[in-house]
Amino acid sequence: MIDVDVKQMQWSENMTIASLLQTLDNVEFCSVVRLNGKLVSSPNFAETTIPDNSKIQLLPLVAGG
Amino acid sequence: MGRIDLKEIQSVSYEKAKIKKGYADQSLRINLDAADIIINPIEEKIKNTFIGGKGYDLWLMWNAVSGDTQWNDPENAICISSGPLGGTPGYPGGGKSIVTSISPLTGAPIDSNVGGYFGPYKKFSGFDVIQIDGKAKEDTIIFIDGIENNIKIFEAKNLPTDSYELSDVLTHYFDENKPVNVSVVTAGPGAKNTFFGCLNFSWWDAGRKRVRYKQAGRGGIGTVFADKKVKAIVARCGAISMKSNNPADLEGLKLVTKTHAKEIRELDPKQNRMSLVGTTHLVPIMNDHDCLPVHNFKFGSHPESRVIGEEVYEHIFDKGFDGCWKGCTVACSHGVKDFSPFTGPYRGQKVFVDGPEYETVAGCGSSLGIFDAHTILEINFYCDAYGLDTISVGTSIAFVMECFENKLVTTDHTDGMDLSFGSRFNALEIIHQMARGEGFGAIVGKGIRRMKKIFAKDFGADMAFMQDIGMESKGLEFSEYMTKESLAQQGGYGLALKGPQHDEAWLIFLDMVHNFMPTFEDKAEALHWFPMFRTWFGLCGLCKLPWNDIIPEDNKDTQEPAKVAKHLGWYADFFSAVTGRKSGPDDLLAMSEGVYNFQRIFNLKMGYGTREHDTVPYRAVGPVTVEEYESRKDRYDEQLKEKYELDISEMSSKDKVAALRQKREEQYEKLKDAVYERRGWTQDGIPTVKTVKRLGIDFPEVMEVLKKNGVE
Repeated sequence: MIDVDVKQMQWSENMTIASLLQTLDNVEFCSVVRLNGKLVSSPNFAETTIPDNSKIQLLPLVAGG
Repeated sequence: MGRIDLKEIQSVSYEKAKIKKGYADQSLRINLDAADIIINPIEEKIKNTFIGGKGYDLWLMWNAVSGDTQWNDPENAICISSGPLGGTPGYPGGGKSIVTSISPLTGAPIDSNVGGYFGPYKKFSGFDVIQIDGKAKEDTIIFIDGIENNIKIFEAKNLPTDSYELSDVLTHYFDENKPVNVSVVTAGPGAKNTFFGCLNFSWWDAGRKRVRYKQAGRGGIGTVFADKKVKAIVARCGAISMKSNNPADLEGLKLVTKTHAKEIRELDPKQNRMSLVGTTHLVPIMNDHDCLPVHNFKFGSHPESRVIGEEVYEHIFDKGFDGCWKGCTVACSHGVKDFSPFTGPYRGQKVFVDGPEYETVAGCGSSLGIFDAHTILEINFYCDAYGLDTISVGTSIAFVMECFENKLVTTDHTDGMDLSFGSRFNALEIIHQMARGEGFGAIVGKGIRRMKKIFAKDFGADMAFMQDIGMESKGLEFSEYMTKESLAQQGGYGLALKGPQHDEAWLIFLDMVHNFMPTFEDKAEALHWFPMFRTWFGLCGLCKLPWNDIIPEDNKDTQEPAKVAKHLGWYADFFSAVTGRKSGPDDLLAMSEGVYNFQRIFNLKMGYGTREHDTVPYRAVGPVTVEEYESRKDRYDEQLKEKYELDISEMSSKDKVAALRQKREEQYEKLKDAVYERRGWTQDGIPTVKTVKRLGIDFPEVMEVLKKNGVE
């Protein structure tokens, strides 16, 4: 299982950030997530695999300084 | 250093105005020529039109200067205001000051939004806004004592030279027993010897028992301050509570304050973690999206950027409460204790560094090719101590480094210093020289616009190339975001009233990453709405970070997530509760639009404010050099082929650079057309009479400026 914000979801092998987001609604604004505390940006979503038992936080739209 | 020597030359006792619904309804003018202290009422019409904050500043400035006034003329004023909502303890970002003057860099009004306690202390001492004009003959300190209800002007001798020490000494001098009662505004030697001096605004950090600082950085207001021989303005004020603003609806104010603060406390740790890392989380994010300026904005990313972002600074920042306002839950003003500089007058000593923020990391780090967290800290420290704007310092040195690498500037000009990208010791030496007004650093301290002229005239440098790579617009150096792939953000910088600062519109992600504004009209709408709403924070004495950097968890399900509708509602409630003017989100926008257009016409009054002044260097729009083009070749080739339908099979890289440039520059001009139309301006970028009348800013002197410029 993985935690995505406050929700628990089923983990699967070779799951990536990109494939996870495809299963979620209203994530058009999501260009950055925290995967187990580390920032991952959208250019790296497809190549970033999610380990089992991960905690993922979807960051809000990036609003600049 | 011996004890400081203050000689009182003027003193006025006053009856403190009772704050009513967020306003003192009085201004304070200090004329340094005659050492006059003048208290004036603020008329109801001015209050309703200009709201407060930047609006009040601009109105006083407009009346203080003529169209011929230069930055160093005595009539140029420095205005500092809070706003009706400023000084609300516990409201996140609720303690900002807004500072304006005619800028030494741009020749037009500049505004800077800054934390620290000064703005609220000044208001609760009885003044919504203060205006400093004239020029003192001797070093001067202005003291506004809201506890004893008097204002004093001192001639000062034997003061510490740098801002860092001066604020500390004056804090203890003016209230030895309760330093928390004091906030000090200071410049420094760098402000005197450059055109981009900043002002440090202090507050007492009770946890660490030390003075802390935030900077009104942009546009050289510190330089004006130093030119007037003002060493410091000190405000002293007693305890502040939610009742201090005497709000129209105290219970309503308590509710909205508690609600917003609670949300930030709960969500910031899950989102940007600003209470831990400030804005340094942006470094890796910008790098990953090719938006982090590297080597004078040539490139948008660098593999070593990881060592200057949140992962490093999180461990270096001193732990503790870091709000630059009382009870702010964003609390992003982090610092580093016991830092030991390895150069300059503080070499080997232990100092506290207030920062760095993202802008300093990017401007004084990646843009200079310096990927070393400690060097960035040292640059941050000395810029603050000397009173220098880290953004202009970073962007100016980056320009010099690219000139050096292209042999437009050589060691013959730099007294032998190698200023290639990454030369960290020489970058620091340039900053020390700037502060002393000596050597090549004295030239760099004049800013990019003046440097271009000097390099062309004295060094024979290629002006056309420098125009392309010198990251300034309107005379102000760019803040630290790469805009090549976001036309909307090119407009966000180029159309910004004061010059290329991101506080008007930050649209890169909406435009470039999410493609939410595909048409010119979409971009124009964004370049209308966002600058107007962001202006509102400056009218009210607030920070914008709590609006859209920490957002509700259900925000993504709303119709326009970028506007953060729930927070718009809270800000309208906040304004209504304090002022008693029942307002909705659209009303907030209407307040800003009048002030925004007034500032545009103020630019016009000063000889700027038309289409030709909204240009940006081509480096902000696309690749200037073949090296840049080839570094992102696939991206640019695809655009030429797919977007512009060009056959590039026979084109050299040089040809492609030229072809892309033609297309992108055309697009930028079309964007201007669309934005001007949306804002109700002429195609020369001037507000029309209809717009001015609609906004209620059709004062006779405003209409006269329009008429002079052919708008009737």
